[in-house]
Amino acid sequence: MSIAMKELIRRPGRFVSVGGALTMLVVLLVVLGGFLDGLELNSTGPYRAHEGRLLVFSDGSELLIQRSKVDAGQAEQLTSSDGVAAVGALNQIESTAGAGQGEIVDIVLFGYDLPTDAIPSPPVDGGVIVDEALADRNDVAVGDTLLIGAESEPVAVAGIVGDLSQGSPTVWLSTQRWREIVQSGNPAALPPEGTDQALVVEPSAGTEISDLAASLGGLDGIAVVTPDEAIKALPVVQQQSSTFEGIIGVTFVVTLLVVALFFTLITLERVHLYAVLKALGARTGNLMAGISAQAVGVSLVALILGLGLSLAFVGLLPADLPVRLVPARLLQTAVGVVMSALLGSLFTLRRVLHVDPAEAIG
Amino acid sequence: MPALQLDNVRKVYRTGDQQVVALNDVSLTVQNDEMMILVGPSGSGKTTLLTVAGALLRPTSGGVRVGGADITDLDDKRLAGFRREEVGFVFQSVNLVPFLTAKENLLVVRQFGGSRIDTQARKRADQLLDELGLGGRGSSLPSQLSGGEKQRVAIGRALMNDPSLVLVDEPTSALDSALGQQVMDLLRREIKGRGVSAIVVTHDDRVLDYGDRTVRIVDGALETGAQ
Ligand SMILES: Nc1ncnc2c1ncn2[C@@H]1O[C@H](COP(=O)(O)OP(=O)(O)OP(=O)(O)O)[C@@H](O)[C@H]1O
Ligand SMILES: [Mg+2]
Repeated sequence: MSIAMKELIRRPGRFVSVGGALTMLVVLLVVLGGFLDGLELNSTGPYRAHEGRLLVFSDGSELLIQRSKVDAGQAEQLTSSDGVAAVGALNQIESTAGAGQGEIVDIVLFGYDLPTDAIPSPPVDGGVIVDEALADRNDVAVGDTLLIGAESEPVAVAGIVGDLSQGSPTVWLSTQRWREIVQSGNPAALPPEGTDQALVVEPSAGTEISDLAASLGGLDGIAVVTPDEAIKALPVVQQQSSTFEGIIGVTFVVTLLVVALFFTLITLERVHLYAVLKALGARTGNLMAGISAQAVGVSLVALILGLGLSLAFVGLLPADLPVRLVPARLLQTAVGVVMSALLGSLFTLRRVLHVDPAEAIG
Repeated sequence: MPALQLDNVRKVYRTGDQQVVALNDVSLTVQNDEMMILVGPSGSGKTTLLTVAGALLRPTSGGVRVGGADITDLDDKRLAGFRREEVGFVFQSVNLVPFLTAKENLLVVRQFGGSRIDTQARKRADQLLDELGLGGRGSSLPSQLSGGEKQRVAIGRALMNDPSLVLVDEPTSALDSALGQQVMDLLRREIKGRGVSAIVVTHDDRVLDYGDRTVRIVDGALETGAQ
């Protein structure tokens, strides 16, 4: 074990200040990342419900479903293309649902044709599937009746699926029933007969989703994208991620500066020790490796403590706050913190370089 | 081949417009297996001579050869390697690493420049500590050692890498006379036993008898007849 690691283990008190600061920064990074992911997940449920499928929008819609209009001819073209198992409609409208004791909540009402891994086939009897966001928060159970829209169309709840929020909870029913409800409540918003807002393409077995997207991309008048691509095009997602990523980036810079400051100060204290080690034959590189090892060591401990604290903190938050800890984000935070610490530790190079071994003697 | 050869070495310190000639045309040869005592008044250039001989400072002019190799023009990296392989320092202020045990302080010199701490290195450290009468203190921290024990650990560290030249700056100044004699005894035994050459700087007259030869330095110049 190197001298630097022995110091870290035998004199942990010296590193408490930087370790504590890094732990707090880790908590901040994890919680910020959790909010970013939570907000994104909270506004993209219907897209993620179509994982493994392709979504089709009209050209010029900028991949936004409420601006898109796809006609039957285009649907027919897709259906007859290679690698396509089925094509279904996907339409949405912002609406309301009255549940139980007359309380009314905002929902997004989806009309659809094809089942996915997350949603079963649309009920044929005109019933609805509701997501957990509505079921849990408003005490809706299978068999209850919801009153949808301005005209309070009654629908029976036939099933409950996981949280598919798109800002508001979502309610899913057959395309035909969707058209009936929109017709009666808000006829101006109804796409003309034979057109839909968007289409869902189910690939045939053994077809790679990316290959299919590429081969269908040539068709005129439409854009064929994966759910992920559609999510990235959502203005709400773009705004949230640029805001949060800005804050997260600044936090990484702060982390780097904290480490740089701490080790620069500690290097001042160690000038004599470093002079002695240089006199004994240590090179600047040996000493820098020690400093970087300490910075990485401290940041790893801070990561463990910070993750633990974040889990506890997130557990204390009210359940309806949209915070989600996603493994990929946690990994990114961990790598970012270690890299910031490593880079920060390199700020001592100039001072270590200037330590004169001759100062050790006399 | 002599262990150390200084040829017309000058060392001038510049601070602002002031110049201090710390070494003035010093020529000196230390033979293999020779223990040379260097004495002189305060500020006469003793420490400066050690730092130049031990490749810690480059001379302003003149040549330095250690074990026949000219080190005058080596770069910093090479000098560090040279110090690690060929030179053992015992500093006046001891300078042990405070958070390492006695044994680890000996092993420090094996952490740099690609050398490893292997079983052989550990054995050597144990053996040196034994010879220095510190057999039981290998796992003590410097703060748990007496002044004399610390001096002995520093001597062990200087010998750890089998140097060809050992440079010792005032080993007894911080010790009472009994302890001082004991440390000098040990130093002479270790150095002579290994066939190593040494320069020992001192103010202490009682130390003179331990050397093979005594050289006086005054105002940066060796007294004539010293070589
Ligand atoms: N880094 C330095 N910068 C400027 N002048 C220095 C420096 N180091 C030493 N000197 C000067 O060089 C001269 C020789 O110093 P040196 O330390 O070699 O003396 P010394 O014989 O070891 O003295 P002492 O017995 O007091 O330790 C002194 O006049 C000292 O002031
Ligand atoms: Mg001196």
